[in-house]
Amino acid sequence: MPGIYADLRILELGAGAAGPVATRYFAEQGATVVRLESAKRPDFLRLLRIAPDDPRGLEGSPMFALLNPGKRSVALNLQEPEAQALALELARWADVVLENFSPGVMERFGLGAGRLLAAKPELIVVSSCLFGQTGPQRGYPGFGGQGSAIAGFNATTGWPDREAIGPWGTITDSLSPRYVAVLIAAALLARGRTGRGQHVDLSQIEAGVYSLSEMVVRCSASGDVVLRRGNRDERAAPHGIYPCLGEDCWIAISVFDDAQWEALVAAMGDPDWAAEARFVTGDGRRAHHGEIDAKLADWTREFGAWHLMAGLQQAGVPAGVVQNVHELLRDPQLAHRHHFVTLQHPVLGSLSHERSGFRLAEHPGGFERAAPRLGEHTDQVLGGILGLAPETIRDLVARGVAA
Amino acid sequence: MVGARRGIAKPAPDRVAWEAMLSGLRVLDLTDESGWLAGKILGDLGADVIKIEPAGGDREGRRPPFLHGIADPEHSLAWLALNTSKRGITLDLAAPAGRSVFARLVATADALLESFAPGTLDAWGIGFAALRRAHPRLVHCAMTPFGQTGPHAGFRARDLVVVAMGGNALLTGDPDRPPLRCSMPTAYYHAAPEAVLGILMALQARESSGRGDFVDVSLHECQLASLLGAPGMHATAKNPPKRSGPRTGRTREIWPVRDGHVSFGLRGGAARVPGLRALVAWMDEEGLAPGWLRDYDWERFRPEALDGAELARLEDVFGAFFAVHAMRELYEGALARRVLLAPCNDAREVIEQRQLRERGLFVALDYPELGAAIEHPAFFARSSAHATAIRRRAPRIGEHNGEIFAELGLAAAELEKLAAEGVT
Repeated sequence: MPGIYADLRILELGAGAAGPVATRYFAEQGATVVRLESAKRPDFLRLLRIAPDDPRGLEGSPMFALLNPGKRSVALNLQEPEAQALALELARWADVVLENFSPGVMERFGLGAGRLLAAKPELIVVSSCLFGQTGPQRGYPGFGGQGSAIAGFNATTGWPDREAIGPWGTITDSLSPRYVAVLIAAALLARGRTGRGQHVDLSQIEAGVYSLSEMVVRCSASGDVVLRRGNRDERAAPHGIYPCLGEDCWIAISVFDDAQWEALVAAMGDPDWAAEARFVTGDGRRAHHGEIDAKLADWTREFGAWHLMAGLQQAGVPAGVVQNVHELLRDPQLAHRHHFVTLQHPVLGSLSHERSGFRLAEHPGGFERAAPRLGEHTDQVLGGILGLAPETIRDLVARGVAA
Repeated sequence: MVGARRGIAKPAPDRVAWEAMLSGLRVLDLTDESGWLAGKILGDLGADVIKIEPAGGDREGRRPPFLHGIADPEHSLAWLALNTSKRGITLDLAAPAGRSVFARLVATADALLESFAPGTLDAWGIGFAALRRAHPRLVHCAMTPFGQTGPHAGFRARDLVVVAMGGNALLTGDPDRPPLRCSMPTAYYHAAPEAVLGILMALQARESSGRGDFVDVSLHECQLASLLGAPGMHATAKNPPKRSGPRTGRTREIWPVRDGHVSFGLRGGAARVPGLRALVAWMDEEGLAPGWLRDYDWERFRPEALDGAELARLEDVFGAFFAVHAMRELYEGALARRVLLAPCNDAREVIEQRQLRERGLFVALDYPELGAAIEHPAFFARSSAHATAIRRRAPRIGEHNGEIFAELGLAAAELEKLAAEGVT
C-alpha cells in the first residue's frame, strides 16, 4: 500500500540527528526524501566512531544508517556556484525543504528561505538549529548536549548530591525532530487550504523549554525551582528503581495511591514493617521514603526483574523492567508492534531499524530501503529529477561539483 | 517578571489577519496528564481544542503543586501550563445523558484525542468502532503506555515505568547507583508530538480518502526514540552500554563549577577542535594552562584511544579551570570565544536566558481570579505566514459549558437539567 505521503517530495540539507530524524517519519509513509550531502564535508554522523583507517569509510556508521532509512542521497559540493544552482532547482522540485545548518549557511549557499520562497511561493521551508534564526546567540555553534543543558533538562536530572547530568542521549536531539515533523505536517495541511508556503524557524532549545512548560510556569508563578531529586516524585511513594537478581538488573515501581500500596504490600506477603502506622497514608510514605526504599530493595533483590514485573502488574502495581538495549530487541510488546524492522545495509549488513511510536490502522507504512550511501542517487536525482544528460553529470563529477 | 509582556501574545499589526496552521480543525481532548501536551500543541497551532473534564472537573488531573499553595483544582500549575489554547467543558461520559451530548459534539469534531486504558471507551459505547459508524471522517488517537493490543497492553505505567521500560533509565545516572529518570515527566514529552503527528498524518490521508483513521500511540515506543538508534547500534555487541554519570563514554561532559554545572564535551572531531583550542587559549590568559596543554595536538585527539592516565590528566586541568569560575562567567566567555560550552540552567536561569528573552519566547498570561500573571513558553517555533503562539489561557472548570453547549443547540433549560443531574 502506498504511504500517505507517496506524492510528497522533501529535500533535506544538514547533518546530525536533529534534522534527519524529522524526515524519517515521512519516509516511513512513502515520501521521497532526498538528502543533499557533501562528499568534501560529510555529515559528522557518517564519521561517528569510525577510525580514520576504517575500510568502510563513510558507509560504516550504524548511527547514520539507523536514522536515515528510506532516503536518497545526492552529493553536491555547495561551495561551487554550479552546485548551488542545482540545489535551487531541487528546491523548486520539492514540496518541503528542511535544513539544520547553523543560521546563515543557507544564505551563503544562495539558498536562504527568502530566495527559495521567491522561487516557489508554495514551498515549505523549515529551519531547525540550536538557538533559532534570530537573537544575539543565533550564530553560536553547538551540539545537543548544550541544548539539553540550556533548556533545563540537566538541572532536573541526577542525584541531588551529584552532577546535573540530563537524560542519556541529549534529549533535545530526540524531542526537536518530532516538533519539526509536526510543523511539516501542519504546514502541508495549511498549504492545502491556502495554497501558500512558509518559512518555519525552530530552535531546538525552545522546543525543549516548551516541553518543560510546567517547570517554567511553576517557577514563574511561585519561584518553585524543580531540581534533580533522583527518582523521587512529589506525589508518589514508593517511587523508585530497585535492584533485582543479576548484574545491573532493576525494576521501576511507582505507587500513586493507597490501593496500589495495598496491592504492593499484599504482593510482598504482608510483611510486618509495611503495616506500621507511618506507612498507611501517602503523606506518611513520602515522609519515610528512604526507609521504604531500603525495605523494598531487600525484597525486590530476591527476584528476576521480568518475573517481578509480571507479578506486580498482575496485582495492579505499576512496575516495569529497567531494560537494557539487548532486552529491548527481544521485548515481547515491541515485537507485537513490529517496532524493529530488519533492513539490509549494503556495507553494515542486517540492522535493526526502528518504527515511529504510533500506528495508523489503515496506513501501516514502513521502510523500503536502508539508508543511502553517500551520493548513491546522484545519477538518479540529477538525471531523473533535474533531467541532466549522463555526460553532463559525468562532467560535474569530474570537476568536483557533484560526487 | 521584569520585561515580560502582559496578556495573550498580540500579533504585530501586519499579522492580525494571520490564520493559524490548524485553523478550522476541531479536536476533542479527553486525555489525562500524559496527553495534555499533545492537546496543547494542537491548540497552540490553531485547532479548536475542547478539553472535556469529568463532571465537576478533573479532580485527579488538576494536581499539585498549586498556586500560592492553595489546594484547589483551579490553582493547579501543571493544569495551567499544559492546557493552554483549549476551551473546557465538563461532561460525565459514563452517564447516558452525558454520552448523548458527547454524540452531538463528536459530530462536529475532526479528531478525538484520549488516554484511557484500552477498552474503556468501548465499554461506554463510544469506542472507535462505534463512533466510526456514524462519523467515518473522525480521526481517533489513543495514547496509552504500551499500545492497544499485545502482551503488555493491560500494564499500568506512568512516566517512571515508561522511561525504565524504554531503555533510557538504565543509561542515565551514575554507575555506582540505581538508574535514573528526569524529575520532569519526559515520557509524556516524547509522546506528545508523535501523537500530534499521527493525527495530522491521518488528517492528510483523509484529504484524499475522505475517511478517518485510528492512531494507536504507545508511550513506550515513543520513549525509544530518546535512544537515537542505540538498540540497533549495539545489537551485536557482547555487552549492552551502561550508564557513565557525568561522562559520555570515557570523557567528561558535565563539570562542577563554582555555583553549579556546565556541559562541555571533552571530545574530538572537526567541529570541536576550534573550541578546544579557544578554551586552552582562555585558560592560558588566566595562567591556568600548563605548557603541555598549550601545545596539545587536538587534530589527532581521539579519546577512545587514550589511556586512562592521559584522560585523567586532561580532566584534572580542565576541571580545575571550570571549578574556579561561575556558570555565567563561563557561558559569557564561551560565547565570546566560540567554545562549545553551556550552563546547566535551572528553571529560573532558563526564564532569564538572554537569547530566549530576546526571541520573545516567554509570554505572561493574566489569571485575574487567581491574582497572578504567569510566564509561559509561548511557542515552539515561529512561522513567516502563521501565528504559532498560545492563543488563550487554560480553561477554568466548565468555563465554556454555556458557550459550547449553545453551539450544539442545547437549550438553557436542558443545560440546567444536566447540571442538576450531575452530568456536567
